[in-house]
Amino acid sequence: MSDVVEKTLTALPGLFDSQTGAAKITNRLKQLIKSITELTSKHEEENLMKQELSAMKEQVSSPNTTMKQMREVMVRAMYCEMLGYDASFTYIHAIKLAQQGSVLEKRVGYLAVSLFLSEGHELLLLLVNTVLKDLQSTNLIEACMALTVVAQVFPKDMIPAVLPLVEDKLSHPKEIIRRKAVLALYKFYLIAPNQVQHIHAKFRKALCDKDPGVMTSSLHIYLQLIRESPDGYKDLTGSFVAILKQVVGGKLPMDFNYHNVPAPWLQIQLLRILSLLGREDQSTSELMYEVLDESLRRAEMNHNITYAILYECVKAVYTIHPKAELLEKAARCIGNFVLSPKINLKYLGLKALTYVVQHDAKLALQHQMTIIECLDHSDFTIKRETLELLFRITNAQNVTVIVEKMLDFLRGCNDEHTVIHLVGKVAELAEKYPFHSLTVTNVTRMR
Amino acid sequence: MIKFLLMVNKQGQTRLSKYYEQVDLGKRAALEADMVRGCLARRKEECSFVEYKDYKLVYRQYAALFIVVGITENENELSIYELVHNFVEVLDKYFSRVIMFNLDKVHIILDEMIINGHIVETNKNRILAPLLALDKMAES
Repeated sequence: MSDVVEKTLTALPGLFDSQTGAAKITNRLKQLIKSITELTSKHEEENLMKQELSAMKEQVSSPNTTMKQMREVMVRAMYCEMLGYDASFTYIHAIKLAQQGSVLEKRVGYLAVSLFLSEGHELLLLLVNTVLKDLQSTNLIEACMALTVVAQVFPKDMIPAVLPLVEDKLSHPKEIIRRKAVLALYKFYLIAPNQVQHIHAKFRKALCDKDPGVMTSSLHIYLQLIRESPDGYKDLTGSFVAILKQVVGGKLPMDFNYHNVPAPWLQIQLLRILSLLGREDQSTSELMYEVLDESLRRAEMNHNITYAILYECVKAVYTIHPKAELLEKAARCIGNFVLSPKINLKYLGLKALTYVVQHDAKLALQHQMTIIECLDHSDFTIKRETLELLFRITNAQNVTVIVEKMLDFLRGCNDEHTVIHLVGKVAELAEKYPFHSLTVTNVTRMR
Repeated sequence: MIKFLLMVNKQGQTRLSKYYEQVDLGKRAALEADMVRGCLARRKEECSFVEYKDYKLVYRQYAALFIVVGITENENELSIYELVHNFVEVLDKYFSRVIMFNLDKVHIILDEMIINGHIVETNKNRILAPLLALDKMAES
């Protein structure tokens, strides 16, 4: 095991349980957690929480409580709510903390607001003024915080009040501000798309931003827009291909690497976008064959994250207009996954097979034996995924066997959702292949 | 998208929870306990993904701690599995200097990585930069 992981493994529990010579500020939370951990009954927990919450109530109402102390109370309140205990009396003080606290306290105030309040909460309106002020602050850290909270939770009706300020930040000299402004706009697009219709030109600018982080944040908006209507963005295909080429070719700074793989999650995002653009469109697909081939080739290291990229590649190759050589490579890749002794890969292989089987039924046939083995696998998740796959490759010849297997599975299954889902599938098959009356009786019995 | 992220100990006690979709406060504890029970029941040789209700769980164990991420059907399980590890490596990078109990700081770090259930930053330096700046300002 590597040094980093070793250190992390020992450090992690310590994040939450260890003894530290820390400032008073963390002591009370630590004490609370320790006490809760040591209790054995729900009843005891409720009593302790009641006490804790009433002490906190006094603290927040006292005029002598400093902002520093308020921060500490707020973190305890977060913990209480996390465990399911209402601490709504602290909400207004969270907003006050964001308004009046010093920089770290302000951040915790904003954090508390993002955890406590949801869209439409009346107190959110009180947040707007603080956000407005911080957006205009000369202190970049404060502007960052404001943008972060805006991207998390903001009252829809007040968007017009902050929109100009946020738009303005799109051309800020600092990349982190531009990046966060894009994400805030993405949030606005999600909750009130009409408000951001007019600024598509600015999104395009973000896509071409010289900073890879800003470009990446624009992809969230583009993925959404392209999902909704791919035709409007086909002209951007060249740009996405060029970006992916650069990433795969290792042109990004080193700190974008994860275990020597260049920006893997960015690669995945780009592959998804390209899939959507190339679907059912030969000329657009042709623009991406080269970069897909390159991605398939490069992602051959033995690391989970490269397998994750490969999976997206394979999906893309099967989604867009077909190209024989790519399909061959992708099929080989799926085969390697399905046959892998690594169980996570096997799962991914099955999932990939389920996806591509509509395009290439032969592939499933090729791996018949493995699929049948997976049916009897001890891992429930593998079994379930195999059934999904089987459902897709059912035909008049194998329907009886497949339905039998499904019923077998159902007999040993306790999870309500799975049962409902599978019974539905069996019913579908019974309808599709009506001469198998035994099946129908079984299905009715199960219901 | 990512629906939530949990850090839970082996006894099923939640150490950190972050929801990217609205879930009733009263329902959370029971939901979390149920999910963790499911993950704890899994054996070492089984895969790290579990179907749960109408979504999926990706879980990863680190000594006595489980990190569980809820994802939608169309999300890439293995990429999330590695995202969890990236998150752990970031925590290690930050807290290796000063191991303190800091629920708020872990949240602040997470806020730099995931927003609205989407992965927004995976570059460790960029993830930590705002928090390090905050720390610096708070010290002076």
